[in-house]
Amino acid sequence: MEDILNGYVLQVVIFVCINIILAMTIYMTLCTGLLSLGNAGFMSLGAYTSAILTVQYNLPMPLGILAGGVVAMIVGLIIGLPTTRLRGLYLAIATLGFGEVVRVIALNLDITHGALGFSGIPSMANSLSDLAGNMGITDALSMDSQTMGSLLMCIVLIILTAVIVCFWNALEHSRIGRAFKAIKADEYAASLSGIHVVYYKMMAFLFSAFFAGVAGALYAHATFFISPTDFTWHKVVDALLYTVFGGSNVLWGSVLGASILTIVPESLRALAEYRDIIYGVMLVVLMDFRPDGILTVQTVKNLARRFHRKSAAAEKGGR
Amino acid sequence: MFFQQLVNGLTLGSVYAVIAIGYTLVFGVLNIVNMAHGGIIMMGAYIGLLLVTVAGWGLFPALIGAMVGGAILGYLLEVLALRPLRGKKVTHLAPLISTIGVSIFLESAALLVFGPQTRAFPTDYNQLMDFGLFKISEIQIISMGTAVVLMVLLTLLLNKTRIGKAVRATAENIETASLLGIHTRRIITFTVMLASALGAAAGVLIALSFNAIEPTMGTSMGFKGLAVLIMGGLGNVGGAMAGGFILGVAEVFSVAYGASSFRDAVAFGLIILILFIRPQGLFAKAGKGGRP
Repeated sequence: MEDILNGYVLQVVIFVCINIILAMTIYMTLCTGLLSLGNAGFMSLGAYTSAILTVQYNLPMPLGILAGGVVAMIVGLIIGLPTTRLRGLYLAIATLGFGEVVRVIALNLDITHGALGFSGIPSMANSLSDLAGNMGITDALSMDSQTMGSLLMCIVLIILTAVIVCFWNALEHSRIGRAFKAIKADEYAASLSGIHVVYYKMMAFLFSAFFAGVAGALYAHATFFISPTDFTWHKVVDALLYTVFGGSNVLWGSVLGASILTIVPESLRALAEYRDIIYGVMLVVLMDFRPDGILTVQTVKNLARRFHRKSAAAEKGGR
Repeated sequence: MFFQQLVNGLTLGSVYAVIAIGYTLVFGVLNIVNMAHGGIIMMGAYIGLLLVTVAGWGLFPALIGAMVGGAILGYLLEVLALRPLRGKKVTHLAPLISTIGVSIFLESAALLVFGPQTRAFPTDYNQLMDFGLFKISEIQIISMGTAVVLMVLLTLLLNKTRIGKAVRATAENIETASLLGIHTRRIITFTVMLASALGAAAGVLIALSFNAIEPTMGTSMGFKGLAVLIMGGLGNVGGAMAGGFILGVAEVFSVAYGASSFRDAVAFGLIILILFIRPQGLFAKAGKGGRP
């Protein structure tokens, strides 16, 4: 128990959750066949919004995080109007550019403290542990307040991530999800069957922007310090990697990819110097041998079938 | 002041144009954005630097050496990261990811081998010439001259030679080209090598004009090349040249008249604006562009 609950492991779990949300945002736009690379920009907007609101205007943290998502979504609306009408690579590069513009602006504004970075952001773990301390839970479990805070934050983030994953899973199996799928398969055919292509693309784009903003805000409250260098092109590459590594055609691909690629580098600490080189080689090799990522639609189907058969067999055996 | 900035902008723009041509050539034949181009630019700069400092070559031999090095890197890129993906039914994401992989590899390898510090590019050409209206340094003349010569040679190659014709045919339609007896695989390899050689040359020119070489230079320069690529229209060599000059001038003027710290945002601010008005890029024909 003591081993599992140490601060380091909890910290890794927190980052796994944030990265899963981030990978999901890439996946959300990919659902409609859009490759949007502006997520670092939206993340940065969410992080700075929440940081500024909670530090300077003493807004409660949940509201700050929500506001971060909303601001990212509003900006996403403005950026999305021209860009979601673009095709393929034009969109990728235009949104990539958006991320760079946000970074340069954050670097130059006074309210973001420029290159110095924004410090003293209230920590989510601390406020949760205060809450628990007031309710007497910490004493009842005889834990120190720091571990308690991290543990509570982990639980909150896991629940939040699960909610987002379930939400998107439900959305995919709804009318909207089917429209997304149709657009991804063939935009022209989709529009001929009466699907408002731009409307649905915009919807996916806005969801993606919102959750990227939320992920950014969570990141800010998890690290208490943000600077423009946290939200560079490398952040987008990471997110894209999670999604594509795990499998870009299925929802669980993002979850798997983000989990693996967050935990593996942590266990490769000893090789820190060569980590990026290994990363690069890994990507090329993966694309050579498995261009659709680890999980494909077919593997998920097979796994599901096997799982059902097993549980059916277990039921039979039990009877 | 105005003419001085114009000259500076055109010099910078000529280098951007060479970078963008590298992107646009590969896009033309393969329909992918080669994200490893930035890495090759950076490696070209380092090869040039090593040839000048360690081997003691002159500037122009070093430039040619860097181009040869770039072409070799381009060959490896094609064989290891691009060719295995062709022919299989893959999404357009796969080549993007694998070239990103190559660029991460090149950047971190350079960081490991050459260290993170910025290095200067030693030259003997430091004189400033005064033309009354504007001053121009020898370095500027060399970099602009080289860029223009490269562009002219490339245009001649593409328009006047047999292999150039084959490249254009492959870019037009790869299946038809191969039906007509063009060895498309060889043409694709040639094009990637040509683009990478141009990238390496651009790297040396950047190193020369900014007098700074660092492992991360590939990413920032590569991004500007991408902006120009979009501005000029994907796969359009003429558009890439014009777009490069426009970006160079716009950037220099924005620095000169106030917004110096926003320099790196100019390129992308400009393309977001342009895409509002002309989604297919400035110079592409309507219908071939970004709007579905």
